[in-house]
Amino acid sequence: MAKFITIGERISVTAPAIRRAFEERDPEPILTRCEQQLKAGANYIDVNIGPAESDGEERMQWAVKLLQERFDNVPLALDTSNMKAIEAGIQVYNREKGKPIVNSADAGDRFNRIELAANNDAIVIALCSANGIASDNDERMAHCQRMLEEGLMHGMEAEDLWFDPLFLVVKGMQDKQMEVLEAIKMFTDMGLNSTGGLSNNSNGMPKHIRPIFDSCMLAMAMMQGLTSAIVNPNDQRLMETIKTCDIIKNNNLYADSYLEI
Amino acid sequence: MAFTPKKQAFSAKINAVTLGTGDKSIVIGGENVLPFYTFDAPIANKPRIAVEISDKGLEGCVSDGIKAFYAGCDSVVDMAVKAQSMEGASAICLHFESADPNGENKSVEDCVALAKAVADAVEMPILVMGCKNIEKDAQIFNAVSDALQGKNILVLSAREENYKNVGASAGLAYNQKVGAESAVDINLAKQLNVLLSQLGVPDASVCMNVGSSAAGYGFEYLSSTLDRVKAAALAQSDKQLQMPIVTPVSPETWGVKESMSPEEESPEWGPLDERGIEMEVCTASACLVGGSNLVIMRHPAAVATISKFIDSLM
Repeated sequence: MAKFITIGERISVTAPAIRRAFEERDPEPILTRCEQQLKAGANYIDVNIGPAESDGEERMQWAVKLLQERFDNVPLALDTSNMKAIEAGIQVYNREKGKPIVNSADAGDRFNRIELAANNDAIVIALCSANGIASDNDERMAHCQRMLEEGLMHGMEAEDLWFDPLFLVVKGMQDKQMEVLEAIKMFTDMGLNSTGGLSNNSNGMPKHIRPIFDSCMLAMAMMQGLTSAIVNPNDQRLMETIKTCDIIKNNNLYADSYLEI
Repeated sequence: MAFTPKKQAFSAKINAVTLGTGDKSIVIGGENVLPFYTFDAPIANKPRIAVEISDKGLEGCVSDGIKAFYAGCDSVVDMAVKAQSMEGASAICLHFESADPNGENKSVEDCVALAKAVADAVEMPILVMGCKNIEKDAQIFNAVSDALQGKNILVLSAREENYKNVGASAGLAYNQKVGAESAVDINLAKQLNVLLSQLGVPDASVCMNVGSSAAGYGFEYLSSTLDRVKAAALAQSDKQLQMPIVTPVSPETWGVKESMSPEEESPEWGPLDERGIEMEVCTASACLVGGSNLVIMRHPAAVATISKFIDSLM
């Protein structure tokens, strides 16, 4: 099996400093966060530019070129609800280090992102919900099936659809956690790739608790076969957990210095 | 419906490492497919054979074929020059057997003098093999790497106990190539490469000796080690295992009873020389199909056979 893939989440307009940097086209805060994440071992970098309705296309192209030129064509996840911005980003994207990821499609209003990914030979994150959280795994898997068929119909390889069960917040939805993990196992049994915004689970928890929850949830999810996640790669406990799980799963050969590489 | 074979070329590839300089320099590694899987993708650099020459010359040699080949040679330097004419030979491996402190304890200065004389006389790339004494080997590798600067030699080998010393001198200070040696231990094989890389030795300056044994003497451990290393390097894109593999075959095969027992003692085994050749051929061919990028051998008939074997599979 291939090693677990981490998608670094820290370039996002939800952070005020990054929001400002996108608005003012100030490269430094964005480059700094990208470098920090790559140094910590992130494989992909998520670029969340927000909806950016007025200047999305230009903004995404600016970000893609900025990051890929500085960091040896680092592979990126293009994260916005603005379809035109994603397409514009892909136009200037260099695939040398990996296909672009469209973040994201779902089985509701964003269903057409699958076709967009197919038309642009991209990977797509396929969120298994429509308009609202799936009520159970029957519904989740129905969404999964529908999106898989849509992708295949448009000529995609199944491996380029990364299914997201939607990690749910423990504080409030504690009774749903095992269900999410079971959905991951169902993706795995179908031979599908999977991903998700891991830190949803620890939302609202004290800062010192979150790495513990994120790490445990990740280890349990990897046991179920999760193949990637959108994470904070600068969370050392989490990255150590991922590296260790990759060893236990025989995705990577053990060496005493495995945490340093 | 026509059968279309699925090509299994990997996105990862083995590092290409250059040994020697000038027209006779060779490149080992560089492939992105399993050993000899040329039907999946072309293999630019075929596996190579280095001819082992002992610093003891022919002393202790039991093979008439080897003795005949070097007939007329008055010195180790003569032998090294002659070895270049062996069909299938691409490099010379100088083996400092007599440096062992528990044996003849040849001095580091004498080793350096011999290495220089050989390097002045041959054009093929030079590999330097130690005496298996950790401390003495480190001293020899340091001194020989210094004396042969610019020759782009490969020292065999840096081990867990002396990698810092050998890596810093041969790999960093004198810009030679370093062999990282482990004994059928895939985790240590990887760890040594990590340590050398953390020391600053460039990946393209490192080869691996992941273990050696004669066929029939625990060879299955070596075989599974080779398989696992290549699988990690290619299928799992493990950068710490993408170094080309160098396997000393002859020091193992010429030390087992099949190659040494005199005909009067083992008449049922047939002619002594043939047995030695067969042990070398069996072992080397098995190493090569397991993924060795270079094998070290002695007997001219065995070298010629393995050379044909390589060429016919490429």
